[in-house]
Amino acid sequence: MSLTELIEVTKTFTVNGESITAVNNVSLVIEKGDFISIAGHSGSGKTTLVSIIGGILSPAFGKVLFNGTDICSLNDDKLSEYRNSKIGFIFQFASLLPNLTAKENVLLPCIFSREKKSDRDNLAKEYLEKVGIGNKINAYPSQLSGGEQRRVAIARAFINSPELILADEPTGDLDEATEHDIMEFLHRANNEKGTTFVIVTHSSDIAYGCRKMYRMSRGILTQETL
Amino acid sequence: MFLSFSMKNLKRKPFRTAVLLLSIAFLVSLLIFSTSFTASVHSGIQKASDRLGADLIIVPVGARDYAEEFLLESKNRSFYMSKDIIERIKNIEGLEVIESMTYHTYLSTIAGVCCDIAQTQVVAFDQNTDFILRPWLQKAINRPLARGEAIAGYETGYNLGFDLLDIETTLFNNTFKIIGELDRTGTGLDNALFMTEDDLQHIIDSGNSPLKKGEISIIFTKLKRGVDPYYVGKIIEGNIVEVDVVERSDIGREILNTLKDINKIFLVTIVFTSLLTAFLVWAIFSAIANERSREIGIMRAIGAKKSHIVRLFMIEVFVLGLLGSLVGMAAGTYLSMYLVNSFELLNNVSATLTLIQHAEIAVAGLLAGTGICIAGALMPIGRIKNMEPLLAIKEG
Repeated sequence: MSLTELIEVTKTFTVNGESITAVNNVSLVIEKGDFISIAGHSGSGKTTLVSIIGGILSPAFGKVLFNGTDICSLNDDKLSEYRNSKIGFIFQFASLLPNLTAKENVLLPCIFSREKKSDRDNLAKEYLEKVGIGNKINAYPSQLSGGEQRRVAIARAFINSPELILADEPTGDLDEATEHDIMEFLHRANNEKGTTFVIVTHSSDIAYGCRKMYRMSRGILTQETL
Repeated sequence: MFLSFSMKNLKRKPFRTAVLLLSIAFLVSLLIFSTSFTASVHSGIQKASDRLGADLIIVPVGARDYAEEFLLESKNRSFYMSKDIIERIKNIEGLEVIESMTYHTYLSTIAGVCCDIAQTQVVAFDQNTDFILRPWLQKAINRPLARGEAIAGYETGYNLGFDLLDIETTLFNNTFKIIGELDRTGTGLDNALFMTEDDLQHIIDSGNSPLKKGEISIIFTKLKRGVDPYYVGKIIEGNIVEVDVVERSDIGREILNTLKDINKIFLVTIVFTSLLTAFLVWAIFSAIANERSREIGIMRAIGAKKSHIVRLFMIEVFVLGLLGSLVGMAAGTYLSMYLVNSFELLNNVSATLTLIQHAEIAVAGLLAGTGICIAGALMPIGRIKNMEPLLAIKEG
């Protein structure tokens, strides 16, 4: 059953007066429970594509359907609700707010959520423990290593139990052991909870470790056989 | 969590926060001080004219400023006109609207020449027609003044530097016993010595005063209810060219004219300070918006609505504006309450505000300071809330 469907999506940017097509007529079906990787060189349009799927960037043409609803037709509030409740983002860069503790960073999506979770403090602790930094819940980002910060960002992506997690280079600058831990955690979430994942990566190991693999080149998406 | 988040943001750059806070505080204190200053003078004049209880004050032509200087600023002034004017006013056709009239005669003591006290304004009043001093006189001695008796204004003793009660003093080579002290009237009368018209006539008759017989200084008039004092004033001035008529609401015109100039200076200063503060808030919040654009982008990406971003910034601005305004409110109120004595104008017109008036001005200052702070931050907040999440992240 399709969770997200991209229909002929195109996105162009104008850089120094020159029009660049970052995503070129891409169609893609993401099934519920999928674990998809999108590989490709820098500048191939991977981040633009997941940003469109996540509703943080609107396409120039085409449709993005989530459970049958075209998210491009949603107003700003509805789109924010979509990002808050349906999508979990793991960014490729440090994405924690510097003046909030690890726990407060994890809880951040909850304060923008309509649903009030009474035990959200415990839930944040639980996720931080699951990603292996339960002992640093009150640490500020500046007191955490790069890998620890990435784990906090992962815990944050899970806090509102989203249906789809978009992970842009989730292990980009991490050591092998941390990369292994994180990928294992994501696979476990996929297997146990059925959460759908779209992972953008440079790493062949990660790309081939997913159930479906796509390659992006000059804005064009093609599926690869595993 | 929004509040604690905003507070943490404010603590991030303490110096910047302090600069903003102090500039708002400065603006609010200036606003409160200037408003209190103006309101004090207005209120002082208003109270003084109300307490005199006269609808019209009639003085010799050209002596209006002198009369106000004595009645409002306690300056020793002497000016005279013929007592006949009272009768002439009464005889003006169509002026049945006058309910009562009384008059005062002002003299100034000259120490070592005619009197044994330093220069003080002496007011002779007619006990039969008086309605100006009666309430205070009743409260002080509850009987009319007898021949050879005088009574002091509330501050006369203090100004002369000795206790006037129950002492005998020489005024215009006549001995007077000072039998009491009036309560505060809030007018120039507080600094005078009062004697009866009969005593003054005796002084004149015995040749001990430069004053000629039949001269008075000022006439106070009460009109019947509902009568337009301006209309009556014009009729009197039209019929008797030797007098100037001052309506109750016009008392203190010269002081208020001076105050208008002071107000202009205050206004220009406040407008510039407000613009400067709003510009400072705008500049700092523009910088904050730029600094935090990645954070805003991240928050938007994880589900923050535009209204959430506005709320976060607004709390920050509001807290900043409120704290700055509170500091300014305290400073401004302190200045307006305790620096009053440093200003001659305020002292002269007995300008004081009630606690409620101070509170009203303080609250107005608080609202203005917070409002200016919010107004300054609106544009940068509007810009940042409208940024596309990914663009905001990339700009950061």
